Amino acid sequence: MELKGRVWKFGKDVDTDELFAGRFIMGGDETSQSQYQEFIARSGLSDVGHRENVPKGFLAKVRKGDIIVAEENFGIGSSRQQAAETLKFKGVQAVVADSIHRIFFRNFWNLGCPAIDLPGISAEFETGQEIAINLRRGTIKNLTTGKRFEFRLIIPTWFIDMVEAGGLIPYHKSLHNVKSKNQSAK
Amino acid sequence: MTLVEKILAKKAGKKVVKPDEIVEISVDRAMIHDALGAHTIARFRELGVEKVWDPAKIVVVLDHYVPNKDIDTAKKCLNIKKFVLEQGIENYYEVGKGGIAHQVLVEKGHVLPGMTLVGVDSHTTTSGAMGAFATGIGVDEMAVVFKTGKLWERVPGTIRINVEGKLKPPIMSKDLMLVILKRLGISGALFKSLQYTGSAIRGMSIESRMVLTNMAIESGATNGIIEPDQKVIDFLKARMNQRFEVVHSDPDAEYAETLEFHADDIKEPMVAVPPKPSNAVGVTEVEGTKIDQAFIGTCTNGRLEDLRIAARILKGRKVDKFTKVIVIPASQEVLKAALAEGLIATFVEAGAVVGPPTCGPCMEAHMGILGPGEVCISTANRNFQGRVGDVTAKIYLASPATVAASALKGKISDPREFF
Repeated sequence: MELKGRVWKFGKDVDTDELFAGRFIMGGDETSQSQYQEFIARSGLSDVGHRENVPKGFLAKVRKGDIIVAEENFGIGSSRQQAAETLKFKGVQAVVADSIHRIFFRNFWNLGCPAIDLPGISAEFETGQEIAINLRRGTIKNLTTGKRFEFRLIIPTWFIDMVEAGGLIPYHKSLHNVKSKNQSAK
Repeated sequence: MTLVEKILAKKAGKKVVKPDEIVEISVDRAMIHDALGAHTIARFRELGVEKVWDPAKIVVVLDHYVPNKDIDTAKKCLNIKKFVLEQGIENYYEVGKGGIAHQVLVEKGHVLPGMTLVGVDSHTTTSGAMGAFATGIGVDEMAVVFKTGKLWERVPGTIRINVEGKLKPPIMSKDLMLVILKRLGISGALFKSLQYTGSAIRGMSIESRMVLTNMAIESGATNGIIEPDQKVIDFLKARMNQRFEVVHSDPDAEYAETLEFHADDIKEPMVAVPPKPSNAVGVTEVEGTKIDQAFIGTCTNGRLEDLRIAARILKGRKVDKFTKVIVIPASQEVLKAALAEGLIATFVEAGAVVGPPTCGPCMEAHMGILGPGEVCISTANRNFQGRVGDVTAKIYLASPATVAASALKGKISDPREFF
């Protein structure tokens, strides 16, 4: 599957307190999807004016389908899934970075959004350029400069199916449905 | 294979596993707390299954926002309690019964050598001090664990942290960990495991070891682990009556890397300057920095030995008039022991406020939140910008001894003067 989008170039060491501050963790009604999504989208990156690793204009101009390309150590810190959710609900469909911390990496994929770590990739992109990612082939292309890069992810074999299903929860629900269908066929 | 590889191989039903291999492991313990528990439950309900895979393997601890600070936190805790009752989960720790999850898991004997533990908290790594594989995950994955009892994991290669010698008070394991983090950096162990070995580790109390496994995540590590020795076996036997098997690294285990440290090389107490836990400097380099708040507590350093060393420094003295000094025991058990030893009286007489066992101002959850420009010295594990309140506040990380000495003077101070 191929993802295409506009690049926002982030700096290094974007941590989970920065992505989603502790004061909002208990906010949002997790039992109502629409209310929750709106709250999580609105509450992320709340102190962005004080952060040098977030590009100017990101909060105001980010739109559906955009892709973050970041320097090293993206998503350091907490297991709070809201750090990944806020990016998704703001419209970010993928994160590519020189390195990505483990829990954020898993959380973002689990939302159906690829997180791709490839050392050195950040130097090849600037905010506003166009990027294309082919997940099955393992390629990233800078459509603005024409340069192409290869990556190899260490992920379970079913991960891309999971992204196509829309994330871990929908993927597991579909597994369950397949199982029930098979059982009823017997 | 290394200790971690052996645990993961066994739990994956394989003879051998190799670093960076993807395996599916069975989960022995799954922990949720109030900060992310209600979210986990909401996602579990979305999966459309009615019952968790095994209620006896789930541990629920309310620790971040207790006693509840507002309606939102009370509502989420109510949802959790309802789920616990509905699912028949016995291992439930209401406020006043437990304390901070990572401490409760260990002191109540929920985590045994060779087990796999996952929690919706990055500091779940703490329980690695029991010789278990313990790591953090997000809420969607936890919902799936609740359904299936399984989790995929990328087998982490093992970085051996070998520490020889003996730490001399007031140098504590926190100072050692800050030195280790300085060498590793914040991604030095990304997708790897930290295994602590050597005479300094063997000579340490379990409480001190838990500081090392707690902060393993600060180097990006998947987990931190220590081979269980007689101390761990005796500790656990006093707390539970389940049989367990102690797993050791094979003599020919292959390590990704071995880093050598010696206790004698840590010449002075260390302080991690904001905004990274890996920014360690000797205390003398930042001595005299004015502080507004001093905090002793958390899953890193809120245990009895931490309170003892702080009380030793504060006894018969008064904390600085303009400094907010907060002491929060990590659990009810720690609080009870500290009361019996007179430590709590020492803190109160010194002019500190003592809070109920909870996470407190380790993160921006509940109590002790920092205002604009405030400076806090804390025994916690993270000092990221904006972690505990206003984005312009600053957090320095140090040992309980250094924080106590600083509390007396209202500025960052060297605890050696009191020893």
